[in-house]
Amino acid sequence: MSTIVTAFRDGVLRVLRAPAVWIGVFLLTIAITVPPGLVLESSIAESLGNSLAADRSSDGVDMEWWTFYGESAQGVGTTFTPSVIGFAAFLDNLSRLMDGGFVPEPVMGTALLYLVVWVFLVGGILDRYARNRVLRAQAFFSACGTYVIRFVRLGILAVIGYGFLFWLLHGWLIDDLWGWATRNWTVERNAVILRLGLYAVFGVLLLAWNLVLDYAKIRAVVEDRRSMLGALFAGTRFVARHPGRTVGLYALNGAAFVFVVVLYAALAPGAAGSGMIAWLGFAVGLAFLAVRLFAKLLFYASQTALFQASLAHAEYTAAPVPVWPDSPAAEAIANAAGQEVV
Amino acid sequence: MPRARTALIMLAALAAAFGTAALVAQPPLEGAPAPRQAVAAVAAGQAAPLAVAHPGAWSPRNASYSIDVRLDHASRTLSGRAILTWRNVASVPTSELRFHLYYNAWRNSESTWMREARLRGSSAQAPRPGDWGWMDVSQVRLLTGATEPVDLTGRTRFIAPDDGNPSDRTVLMVPLPAPVAPGDTINVEVAWTSKVPRTFSRTGTIGSYYFLAQWFPKLGVLEDSGWNCHQFHAGTEFYADYGVYDVRMIVPSGWVVGASGQERGRSENADGTTTHAYHADDVHDFAWTTSPDYVERRAAFEHPNLPKVEMRLLLQPEHDTQAERHFEATRTALRYYGEWYGAYPYGYLTIIDPAWQSRSGGMEYPTLFTAGSRWLAPAGVTQPEGVTVHEAGHQFWYGIVGNNEFEHAWMDEGFNTFSTARAIEANPAYRTNYYAQRYFGGFIPWVFRDIVRTREADGNGLAGYRGSAESDVPSTPTYMYYPATGGGLSYSKTALWLHTLERYLGWPMLQRIMSTYFDRWKFRHPQPQDFFTVANEVSGRDLGWYFDQVHRSSNVFDYGVSLVKSEPVAASGFVERDGKIQPAEGATGTPRFRTTVVVRRHGEAVFPTEVLVVFRDGEQVREAWNGRDRWKAFIYEREAQAAYAEVDPSRVLLLDINRVNNSYSTTPKRDEAARKWMLKWLVWLQDALMGAGFFI
Repeated sequence: MSTIVTAFRDGVLRVLRAPAVWIGVFLLTIAITVPPGLVLESSIAESLGNSLAADRSSDGVDMEWWTFYGESAQGVGTTFTPSVIGFAAFLDNLSRLMDGGFVPEPVMGTALLYLVVWVFLVGGILDRYARNRVLRAQAFFSACGTYVIRFVRLGILAVIGYGFLFWLLHGWLIDDLWGWATRNWTVERNAVILRLGLYAVFGVLLLAWNLVLDYAKIRAVVEDRRSMLGALFAGTRFVARHPGRTVGLYALNGAAFVFVVVLYAALAPGAAGSGMIAWLGFAVGLAFLAVRLFAKLLFYASQTALFQASLAHAEYTAAPVPVWPDSPAAEAIANAAGQEVV
Repeated sequence: MPRARTALIMLAALAAAFGTAALVAQPPLEGAPAPRQAVAAVAAGQAAPLAVAHPGAWSPRNASYSIDVRLDHASRTLSGRAILTWRNVASVPTSELRFHLYYNAWRNSESTWMREARLRGSSAQAPRPGDWGWMDVSQVRLLTGATEPVDLTGRTRFIAPDDGNPSDRTVLMVPLPAPVAPGDTINVEVAWTSKVPRTFSRTGTIGSYYFLAQWFPKLGVLEDSGWNCHQFHAGTEFYADYGVYDVRMIVPSGWVVGASGQERGRSENADGTTTHAYHADDVHDFAWTTSPDYVERRAAFEHPNLPKVEMRLLLQPEHDTQAERHFEATRTALRYYGEWYGAYPYGYLTIIDPAWQSRSGGMEYPTLFTAGSRWLAPAGVTQPEGVTVHEAGHQFWYGIVGNNEFEHAWMDEGFNTFSTARAIEANPAYRTNYYAQRYFGGFIPWVFRDIVRTREADGNGLAGYRGSAESDVPSTPTYMYYPATGGGLSYSKTALWLHTLERYLGWPMLQRIMSTYFDRWKFRHPQPQDFFTVANEVSGRDLGWYFDQVHRSSNVFDYGVSLVKSEPVAASGFVERDGKIQPAEGATGTPRFRTTVVVRRHGEAVFPTEVLVVFRDGEQVREAWNGRDRWKAFIYEREAQAAYAEVDPSRVLLLDINRVNNSYSTTPKRDEAARKWMLKWLVWLQDALMGAGFFI
């Protein structure tokens, strides 16, 4: 238990010690969403025109205009539904995920771009957390470049697994099994409970695959692995050999994430007001997203810390003085041995 | 035997004489004979026909049924035998009878109902093998009273009067050995078996839940123009004559039964079944339900000026906490409809909370209706209230005023949609009527407390109307509407034009129109013109111009403001000043602005309206506009510039399909609003992206 807590605390510190990573990824997230946001803004402004509906929409919600807009909306406009208000945004996205969806088609391009950026950055992020010291941008992006192709290859393996989960297992569990089981049921409560149970089964498998992939990435970076198949097996082995620690830490991270979500559910702004109030609401939303991103980075950092803590002790390892860009593992060993890193 | 025949003819003549006149008070019909007894009695000439007109009856009671039916749960079949006593209240004789065999709509994929359902994109287009249903008539006999019953079974044949579809078996024609003259009464015995389908059109079964509507061979309506007995269509409901129903239903013992009318007796049978005997007077249909799972609750509706109504609620156990919500919604309908239109006279009403997935919710039958709720039904959202008020309201528009739903569904659905929205608005308990959305497979509700549903748009179904506004002309028989547009036209357009009429004439006038129409046509079958006639008569106006547009046309109303411009009055050239001709540029004094407002009629339909112009100093100018021209300009010279202009500012014309273009502000907040909503959307999108980021 103490190992888990230590890794968690270590992860928090590692994320906090690398604010540029956190802030940079956050700003990048915002930057990626701004172009489609501007398209939507223009579309809304055009629809409102000089109408007094704009005044009503500005002060609160003019559902009549919104419905009218939705009837002729195209592209990103089709995603502009009441679900964008407050906590419903989170529910909407989580619900879609649990019902086997990814993101709505009109923003699929944006989402794919976001994933590509993440695939590029994740190597640098893990490298930074693994080294746990200040790195220059050159070193960060050099690590990104080092791992991007490897993670593309790992991504193919990941997609195979996620594809199995979403396209086969999810369809079988939620559409086929749930549909078959409940076809003649007349009590909605029982059907909901069964559905939640199947969500849980699906969710556990999804998280398990995600956990394995996390350690595959961590081992790929920390141990400078070239073979992603090897990294995947290594990640699997690590989880299998330390199930309590890895699952426990994952659960602790998950609990932190849930805490953030619950907090946002209580604080999420509604739709009233415009101008400064709208910006304030936006700020609250961004704060939630920033903390949420922190939680995601915390998964990486704390799991990296947990893995590194399980490495062989430096005193028993003979090694030359590491010189950058030697692997983080080499640095960790040197750190532990009190060697100077060149 | 000749004496018996003479007595029968005399009684039939009495029936004709009293049939349509005796609509004053309702006597209970006690001791109605069971079918087998009745057959024997009529055959022996010992009893009067069942539908001899009853002094004091509310309705003509010219199509009455005495039915014995047994439900076999194991095979999901109904076996029934009915005696129909029918009196010809038309002015023409007939030499045939026509029966609706509604269950045959789901006999196979080639019925007219199934073909139309496919055209509408209905999910019912691919039933599984066990889902089908049908109705087989095994015997039809004419009970003459003078001789042995005449077996007509061999003479029957299926007809398809609407589309000639040879595969459709929803209308059975029975040729008679002799014509039935106007005023004559005949007794016909029909035996049948039915396979109860998995629910179609809100009748059927799932698990041990049964909702049985349109379950017996039901006679069409003989009108002066001939039989009105349409095939079953995917987009329509029903039409039948009023009568007295005595129905004995045999179901497994321990199962709860709810039905039209009132229970008059219950007896246990040796085979583990129970017979429930129900009786209903002055109704035009009979539906019933049975299930071992129902929870029963009772309450009463009481009002100082309206008759007391005993309410019986059959509730799903998982909705046990929602009983009062159902009762309050039913009281809402009984109270407001009763105050506005006329009393609900039956004294009892059964509310059915349908089983989940039964697809039998939201439907009306005489003295019984199905509501519809969910396990998670948050307060502040009018589910189950909305559907409950609506279906309870159908007791007035459909039950009491019995229009032809095949041809003029708008006369009950539209009137009732209008009334439902008005009743919900009137009840202070429903002021917080929020918009909600369900996530996670459509099960988990989330209430948007920023979005309050309005009567004008949501209650009337403006968006539904807009989607099908020009798809068909409402005067087209409903069953012939363009596929899947019946909702927008029958429900929404009618509600919108009634609400428009309310604001145009004032509610007191519309209320008088509707209550007069209700009173004049209760327990009868009105045609559209009957309502229009009452409207003209009561209002003292010729509203034909309005009904031509809303009923006999698919033209849309759309008025808008296309320009509001305030420019400094800066004359050029030469003007006369101090008695001299001087250059205009040298004029002094308080600057003035010339404001030009241009309003337009975008739609083809015409309605007199108003234009409101508001200036920045607070001055308001209202202009009347007959709305006929395609456009009209209003020009003002004021010291203040215009702030905004709005056409139809009081929102009288609720049929206007585009409310957004009705106003024009010179200082629009569109950018502010667009920015606000873009920011909210950005948070949603970033959240979605972070969800996607989970996979990396």
